[in-house]
Amino acid sequence: MRMTSSPPCFACRPLLGVACALLAFSPAWAEDADDAALQLADSATPTVEQASNLKAFGEAAYGNDRLRDGSLRHNRRLSLDLQYEHAFAPDWRGVFADRLDMNWPAQAGRQRGINIIKEAYVSWQAKSELMVDAGRINARNGVATGYSPTDYFRDNAVRSQVSIDPASLKVNRQGSVMLRGQTLWDGGSATAIYSPKLGDMPHNGDFNPDFGATNHQDRWLIAASQKVSDNLRPQLLLYKEANLPVQLGFNLTGLLNDATVAYVEWSGGRSPSLLARALQRQGLAYADDSRYRNRLSTGLTFTTSNKLSVTAEWQYNGGSEDRAGWDSLRRAPLPVYGLYRSALQVAQESPTRQRLFLYGAWQDALLNHLDLSAMSYYDMQDYSRLSWLEARYHWERNEVAVQWQRYSGQARSDFGATELEGGWQLLLRRYF
Amino acid sequence: MKPYCKLLLLCALAGMAALAQAAPSPQEILAASDLVRNPDYPFGLTNTIIEYRGGKQADSSTLATYSKADPNGGQFRSLIRYISPARDAGKLILFAGKDLWFYDPSSKASIRMSPQQRLLGQASNGDVITVNFAKDYQATSAVEEDTADGDRKTQHCYKLVLSASTPDATYHHIDMWIETANSHPVKARFYSESGKMLKSAYYRRYQQQLGADRPTETVIIDGLDPNWVTVMRFSDWLKRDVPEAWLQRDYLPRFKPE
Repeated sequence: MRMTSSPPCFACRPLLGVACALLAFSPAWAEDADDAALQLADSATPTVEQASNLKAFGEAAYGNDRLRDGSLRHNRRLSLDLQYEHAFAPDWRGVFADRLDMNWPAQAGRQRGINIIKEAYVSWQAKSELMVDAGRINARNGVATGYSPTDYFRDNAVRSQVSIDPASLKVNRQGSVMLRGQTLWDGGSATAIYSPKLGDMPHNGDFNPDFGATNHQDRWLIAASQKVSDNLRPQLLLYKEANLPVQLGFNLTGLLNDATVAYVEWSGGRSPSLLARALQRQGLAYADDSRYRNRLSTGLTFTTSNKLSVTAEWQYNGGSEDRAGWDSLRRAPLPVYGLYRSALQVAQESPTRQRLFLYGAWQDALLNHLDLSAMSYYDMQDYSRLSWLEARYHWERNEVAVQWQRYSGQARSDFGATELEGGWQLLLRRYF
Repeated sequence: MKPYCKLLLLCALAGMAALAQAAPSPQEILAASDLVRNPDYPFGLTNTIIEYRGGKQADSSTLATYSKADPNGGQFRSLIRYISPARDAGKLILFAGKDLWFYDPSSKASIRMSPQQRLLGQASNGDVITVNFAKDYQATSAVEEDTADGDRKTQHCYKLVLSASTPDATYHHIDMWIETANSHPVKARFYSESGKMLKSAYYRRYQQQLGADRPTETVIIDGLDPNWVTVMRFSDWLKRDVPEAWLQRDYLPRFKPE
């Protein structure tokens, strides 16, 4: 045996006897275990899967809603979801993503069937660092988990809400028709988007492409990011929509330690209150209350060594009603209150200034392939609450999930105003 | 001293000096084994992972991996794309030191991850990405000894003791056996700061890939539960240019494999 470094220290000779006894036992045990594992690996016949252009799944859901009047509502749903990409020429590719939901009974104000063309666009890679896209695109900005103030293209994007899980709301939404260009450089990128007005009002027809939902006004956006250190890469955004001054946006994430990510997402600019916008859109008179308003979402995600991640997020919406305004609005005539709530629901904005959001996801919880998720919104102004739980078990191509939700709070509070008090649903999903 | 004695002594000293110079340092041995596992240029491969629990297959996934060394530090950055299972197909993970991002094409969401977040079963992030150990660890000793390789054949190896030397290192320290004759990594044992053995890895099924004899399979055995075994098999090795601009969060929605 030849040493190429200094010999080991033998200063602790009294401990050597015990250590040697342990070491004499452990390597043999380890070698036996290794032999068994290697024999198992010898028999492995991995199948190298090939990448597919198509990703599709079908889903069936059955659930019960408990309404505030004490009655029960049975829900059934069948869904088909697909994404397809195809490179039809060098540097050119087409993208199509579609979802069809069939609901029994139909969702409020909707047909039984709702087809969403989520994306349909062509992409041209002019150079390795320059890309241009045209068509319906789901453009999403933001780093927050629950409320994303810089996710400017979310307005009216959810045509069919099949779950209140933020992950579902991000997936099941309709893109906007736009022209998008992006250039990248070492450590940074810049994106420019122009999205024209193509319709005035949303359409509820089963297979209507519904340009009026996500292209009801002219909009543009410029976003740029630059790496400033190994840990920090801020993103700045400028956003403009018709009848609204330019809004500024900012996104930043940072690693606090090996287990914790912190994030902050902010948007600010001069704008009327959401109440004024909701009422003015309906042609109702309301004084112009435009002023500089901030929207902010900031939080931490902590991950344990056993795959449990917990996110705590504070959400501030300067366009919504403060405590006094909200108390007043809750006592206002029902049509006014209803207009405000429905307008904010489609815009995916909170009706009050401040919320707390908690989200937990535990991968392979208790047993392999079982994922547990939990979510809670807490309104800091009226103390109402929304809770949601999910247990999801998955096989190679199949999944089964149970979801439970509960809305609690006083009448006309943030989460106490829904006709729904709570409910559950069972989902079966099959990937093709 | 007689002249021929002086000559003998000089020859002996010169011989010892030559031997001492020929003997590579532990860090050089480690760097040489890195070059066996990974080429020194950007490349791509397919990583097929099978996870066994209690002797039965519990999970499998296929990943496409694209790697390029950082021109500054020398450590690899990796872009990993899920090919299977179907539920994860198309998802991307970017590993650039501790700048980790997960991208889901369904939600268009790019999510910053902490190094502790694991997305691939037992295989930790550090196992799946391309790693130059010599960039993150300092080899403090090299002892020659015989050890059993992944095919249970005896190989004459250097046993290196590696200590984490950068914050990006996944493990506190590692014992690694490297063949003396050809720098082939044979096996490694990975430890936590408390000295607990977290896992063992065997590097085997050597084949000619990208101009060198490289291990095309890694067998990972859990340190606490030896019935928990992960087999990673590498195929479709390809030299591939990876522009610097691609190795950032904003490129993830754009990434398309060729």
